[in-house]
Amino acid sequence: MAKHDTPLLDELEKGPWPSFVTDIKRQAEKNPDCWDILGQLELSFRDKITHWKHGGIVGVFGYGGGIVGRYSDVPDRFPGVEHFHTVRVNQPASKYYSTENLRQLMDLWEKHGSGMTNMHGSTGDIVLLGCRTEALEPFFWDLTHEMGQDLGGSGSNLRTPANCLGQSRCEWSCYDTEEACHHLTMHYQDEIHRPAFPYKFKFKFSGCPNDCVAALARSDFAVIGTWRDDIRIDQAAVKEYVAGNIVSGGGAHAGRDWGAFDIQKEVIDLCPTECMWMEGDELKIDNSECTRCMHCINVMPRALRPGAQQGASICVGAKAPILDGAQFATLIIPFIEVSAENEFENVIDVIENIWDWWMEVGKNRERVGETMQRVGLPTFIKVMGLEPIPQHVREPRSNPYVFWAEEEVEGGFDRDVDEFRKRHAA
Amino acid sequence: MGMSDDEIKAAMIEKATKAPKPQLYVKDFYKCDPESKPRKIKNLANDLVKQGELMFWSSGSTTMYARPDRIKDEEGDEGVN
Repeated sequence: MAKHDTPLLDELEKGPWPSFVTDIKRQAEKNPDCWDILGQLELSFRDKITHWKHGGIVGVFGYGGGIVGRYSDVPDRFPGVEHFHTVRVNQPASKYYSTENLRQLMDLWEKHGSGMTNMHGSTGDIVLLGCRTEALEPFFWDLTHEMGQDLGGSGSNLRTPANCLGQSRCEWSCYDTEEACHHLTMHYQDEIHRPAFPYKFKFKFSGCPNDCVAALARSDFAVIGTWRDDIRIDQAAVKEYVAGNIVSGGGAHAGRDWGAFDIQKEVIDLCPTECMWMEGDELKIDNSECTRCMHCINVMPRALRPGAQQGASICVGAKAPILDGAQFATLIIPFIEVSAENEFENVIDVIENIWDWWMEVGKNRERVGETMQRVGLPTFIKVMGLEPIPQHVREPRSNPYVFWAEEEVEGGFDRDVDEFRKRHAA
Repeated sequence: MGMSDDEIKAAMIEKATKAPKPQLYVKDFYKCDPESKPRKIKNLANDLVKQGELMFWSSGSTTMYARPDRIKDEEGDEGVN
């Protein structure tokens, strides 16, 4: 029996799509506090303002992250959501669950919290919505002691690392994303659970440039699998595709008749760098021009495979649009070996180099991508101890002036800026 | 010779006690010992949390540090902001 009239929310149940309003009503039959979620949201729709307050001193002992405080600003009207804290639980690598684990987690959440979940948050965590302050410690005890799981990151912490399915299911994965994600999660437990940085910092691990966890767009530090030799071609399989004996795209578009496969139209003409052509019935690729878009490999997976010398590219600085708009990550290191044998030492060196600089130079609430933008890529590259490469250049220069640093000029030069400014005011 | 860990911690507690706003970013503590690396200051701040001298305060998206008595004074016992 509904506790509140919700005519505006009821509109969201109409139409063909699943509705979160229906989901909450179903959960409210089990846990009557959930009626107050709907009641408060209906009020927000009427008032055109949120009635949630967030933040505060909630958390579990010793942790500076993983819990996000939420409170109602109208608790007298909606006591069921007076405290409604969000709990972020670190998801398993690649989000592999057993049904037993999921049932145990949901039983735990219905015991201590509202039973409402968000699977998953945009960083990848299991997000559990709605817990009273006094229930946080008992929930945390059960989660860690009975289930062997832990909280994820929030606030100015290292956020919960995430990865694609990697080599567990995908033949294109150029490194073991699950091992990398798990290893770095364990290596940086302190940074995940306690604030360390000027603002949030996210890792994501994709096994190939298809980038199934959107690392390029959604992480400060994206490790994206790549190769540095040639795409491997099976010319016999190319012929089978051309003859129509193998369905293109692994059958991904088989639900409709798209006509006969046309390698020229569907593969060669769509190559962004025009680096492919046919010589007779053989497919040729100028690999020096390949930008790893993955299109040809995606369309003809039995004929084309990533090269054999595999590793990853590291891109830094993606973020959402809070300040200065959204931005993709910038390619910093085109190729790096990623190996569990040396405990991902190469990757860790790059991470800690960035952190040491950003913790010192970054302003409060400034993402590393914003710091890079503020100081400029040339400065960032210098800090990282890297030589500039063509891939660092986004577009041909439009500024005709060239500035040289003293150490870049043979013999150097002396320049006293203060003396100069006496004669030429800035 | 640089400051000892205990001297830095004492400076951090003083900073958190006297700062106009009760909540401080970890970066606000860097000046307590400009010779120390930011990571060391972060670790000392977290040590102070373990000792109960500081506590975490979260805005939801950013985590800050504060003296427990100053936060409770401002927010009441429930810590609601």
